[in-house]
Amino acid sequence: MNSSLASVFALGTSYLLLMFLCALAVERGWIGPRITRHPAVYTLALGVYASAWAIYGSLEFAASEGYGYLAYYLGVAGAFLLAPVLLVPIQRMTHTYQLSSLADLFAFRFRSRWVGTLVTVISLLAVLPLLALQVQTLGDAIYLMTGAASPALLALAFSALIALFAMLFGTRHRHKHARHDTLLTVIAFTSVIKLGAMLALGGIALFVVFDGPADLQLWLDGPGQAYQAGVAQPDPAHWRTLLLLFFAAALLMPHIFHITFAETLSRHTLLQASWSLPLFLLLMALPVPLILWAGQRLGSDQLIGSAYLAFGLSDAFWVQALAFIAGLAATSATMVIIALALSGMILNHVLLVAHPPEAQPNLYRWLSWLRRGLIATVILSGWLFYRTVGVNHDLTTLGLAAFAGMAQCLPGLLALLYWPGANRKGMVSGLAMGTLIWLVGLWLPLLTDLPALVLIPPGLEMLAGEPDWYVVTLVSLAVNILTFIIVSLATRTSPGERAAAEACSVDAVIRPKRLPLLAATGEEFKQPLARALGDEAAEREVERALTDLGLSPLDGRPYALRRLRDRIQANLSGLMGPSVAQDIVDRYLPYRRGGEEPTDDIHFVESRLEAYRSRLTGLARELDGLRRYHRRILTRLPVGLCAFGVDDELLMWNDALAELSGIDGNSVIGARRDGLPAPWGDLLSRAEQEDQLYKQAVTLDGHTRYLTLHRAELKADDDVRGGTVILIEDHSEMKWLEDELVHAARLASIGQLAAGVAHEIGNPITGISSLAQNLRYDTSDPQVLETAAQIQQLTDRVSRIVGSLVGFAHGGRHIGGSGFAPVSIAAVTDEALHLLQLARSGEDVRYHNLCPAELETIGDAQRLQQVMINLLSNARDASEPGGNIIIAAEPEGSLLKVTVTDEGEGLDARVRDHLFEPFTTTKPPGEGTGLGLPLVYSIIAEHHGRIEIESPPPGHERGTRICLWLPTERQDGEETNEQDSDR
Amino acid sequence: MYVYRIMLLLVFGGYLLSPLLMSGWSSPGVAWYRPFVIWGILIALTLWLEQKRKLDEQ
Repeated sequence: MNSSLASVFALGTSYLLLMFLCALAVERGWIGPRITRHPAVYTLALGVYASAWAIYGSLEFAASEGYGYLAYYLGVAGAFLLAPVLLVPIQRMTHTYQLSSLADLFAFRFRSRWVGTLVTVISLLAVLPLLALQVQTLGDAIYLMTGAASPALLALAFSALIALFAMLFGTRHRHKHARHDTLLTVIAFTSVIKLGAMLALGGIALFVVFDGPADLQLWLDGPGQAYQAGVAQPDPAHWRTLLLLFFAAALLMPHIFHITFAETLSRHTLLQASWSLPLFLLLMALPVPLILWAGQRLGSDQLIGSAYLAFGLSDAFWVQALAFIAGLAATSATMVIIALALSGMILNHVLLVAHPPEAQPNLYRWLSWLRRGLIATVILSGWLFYRTVGVNHDLTTLGLAAFAGMAQCLPGLLALLYWPGANRKGMVSGLAMGTLIWLVGLWLPLLTDLPALVLIPPGLEMLAGEPDWYVVTLVSLAVNILTFIIVSLATRTSPGERAAAEACSVDAVIRPKRLPLLAATGEEFKQPLARALGDEAAEREVERALTDLGLSPLDGRPYALRRLRDRIQANLSGLMGPSVAQDIVDRYLPYRRGGEEPTDDIHFVESRLEAYRSRLTGLARELDGLRRYHRRILTRLPVGLCAFGVDDELLMWNDALAELSGIDGNSVIGARRDGLPAPWGDLLSRAEQEDQLYKQAVTLDGHTRYLTLHRAELKADDDVRGGTVILIEDHSEMKWLEDELVHAARLASIGQLAAGVAHEIGNPITGISSLAQNLRYDTSDPQVLETAAQIQQLTDRVSRIVGSLVGFAHGGRHIGGSGFAPVSIAAVTDEALHLLQLARSGEDVRYHNLCPAELETIGDAQRLQQVMINLLSNARDASEPGGNIIIAAEPEGSLLKVTVTDEGEGLDARVRDHLFEPFTTTKPPGEGTGLGLPLVYSIIAEHHGRIEIESPPPGHERGTRICLWLPTERQDGEETNEQDSDR
Repeated sequence: MYVYRIMLLLVFGGYLLSPLLMSGWSSPGVAWYRPFVIWGILIALTLWLEQKRKLDEQ
């Protein structure tokens, strides 16, 4: 009692100021995310569990129960050891459905707003003694340091500052991610302060009061034994019950739940806390016996009571300041988080349930102010409880009453995870019975001087004489569990509850149904939502959900709309609790009723399975591996495949179909058949009418493609999931080939006809020529002679044309047998030009045959003529009116180089590389077959020559030059071929 | 879930048998820090299991 009130006030406010500064530093970005998002920060924030009980209550408990005080730490360490089976599933649920409190979780699972309200009321009742414990330690510490007559007023001042902090930094941002870093970092900061202070106090006890560990052991084996003898050995049953209470506290206490689940960073961080939090608690627990023994050695326990022995370690101000700051750090963190957690629960499950936010003009501000008011009320209630009730009880009584009360929710929580058969009636009955026993046995006796009404059921009379907390905990939990089980088994579970039970169950896969919504697009969500939330909030919530999901406001896919509805519900749940959120979406974003029986949303189930893959083990993992393999077979199938549900919703769009259509599967899966982009909606609707559609012409990316569709029903006798699967084959190339074959057959018949006609024309022409010849002998009239000569010239020309036609017709069929022989390239070119000039097109293009007449190659004259016709007709088609086409030849070693050069536009480099492949053409659709140059290529290859394209030719700005290299000498094997063909 | 079931069984067994540990800690002649050493070993074991789990998931 050597400190003034002012110095303690200054000490306390300095610490609280540091808290404000820490929060400000995070908000302003002075402390970066590298620190605030570090897993160690999360672990330290979980240290909020170590409340004033850990600083002062543990000393009191250790003085009476010895190592029994460790139950407080080991219980929660056990809960975190079971993180994979207990904490991670709860974290998954709270993240998925944006549940931020135990009441949210219960209301979501048991599908009742009243369950949420009940859990909130029980939490409030249970937490009040714990809050009072915090304020009481603050008042006691102030009294011990100053001896002031009214420490409660200073405690009230500190409580007000703590409430101010919670109101400022706990409700500043609407959505939790923004305030997340600030809160976690500040709570971690308080944990560092209290851990540092406790270790320092332990160090003082060990090295200042005792002379090191050896001296301590000497004292324990000597004078200390007298103190140890006074410590009662914890009864095994008491010890187990304490462990159970503190284990339950880790899952159920509002402040622990808030940090563990509502503010958690990730699954990995939570799993890391399974060893790091026990380590933190070990360091917090280690100094407790040291301080106790040091206090006992100094005889302080007789003067100031065992809970506050740390103040008796030394008269030095700084030692007492350490003890005070350790307590204040623990108290402030606990009060801030309890106030935040409880205010959220009361807001969502009491106020908003009683008074729904019908179109508040500024919903977010309204909610923020309500929350702030509730934070202040909760902290003030804690202070009032301390002033009226707490002062009459020790810390152990207050703490155990709080923990026993919250433990009533443990059966409900375990059933939520592991018993899908549990129902609302059972849970509420069990909880009400257990809470009633706890209220009359432990809670009400805190308020009044009346003796506790501890109910002992018949047959358990041996419990008489045991401590009240022990009997009440055992009896209330036993009655709670039995009532819960019996009522759940005896009553009916609603379908809504069953669906929620599946969503919460650890091993179950959620199987949502494919229900259509009334709204047709995301944009249409805004108007009905505005009736509940107001225009601004509705707009923001829809935009936020769209951004979260990466969807367009105009996306009309039923699958996308269902995800959007779920996301809006989850986001509203984070804002106003699951009950109100569900009411709003059910009322304003309803599903369309009637129609087909809804079936599973397979695509959604699969996407969830993909996300949970790493968590599957054993048989489930093997089966999932098989599922993925079969799915891969379908998605990688080199033929287009799509599947529709019975409600016409697209369930699969494989890779081949995505490539053919140019439409990514993710953008269309979940759409209705008639909502697919053109031409797919119409095409796939027609496929529904018939089992097979053969070579349907569709325009894709500006080109006509011919698709064949095969349809099959998916419905099986033993499966409720029906629908259709459609295979889509691209038969375009086959169709073109068929067209080309028809064209070639027509050309062949025309060729045969031309040969026949030519033969028939040949006879009269020969007659005309003979008559003209005779006419020359019969007259000497020069005019008649000239006419006869002209007739003979013209009939010669006709004969030549007829001869060419017959020759081409025979050569085109490539019967063989003509053999390779010296061929004049100039003559072949002339012949080809002759035939080309018969065609009417390209009459204004000038051909220049510059091939020297003496240059010859070894080959088949007819086949080479076909080559020249193809090359020259291509050059003609590429030339503009008045253009020149030059055919030249020159010897090049043992080869003859022949070039055909035009002055056209030239070729695109990408097309040029594929010109010798079939069906590659630069001509407009219907004019070119894309088979000319491949034919040329094969004929030149038969002649052991080669062909190249230069576009534009060297030294020219435009045009194309085709270069042929043909042999001038016979090649090995040609004789043999010739002989073979002769046989 | 097989691993988790074994873990559940072990933790429940530990819970039932923990009073035996308590009586051991309180016996005379036992070093005062023994409970903390045992606790530390349990933490090291959990850390090792957690590292193993992380490697398995990679």
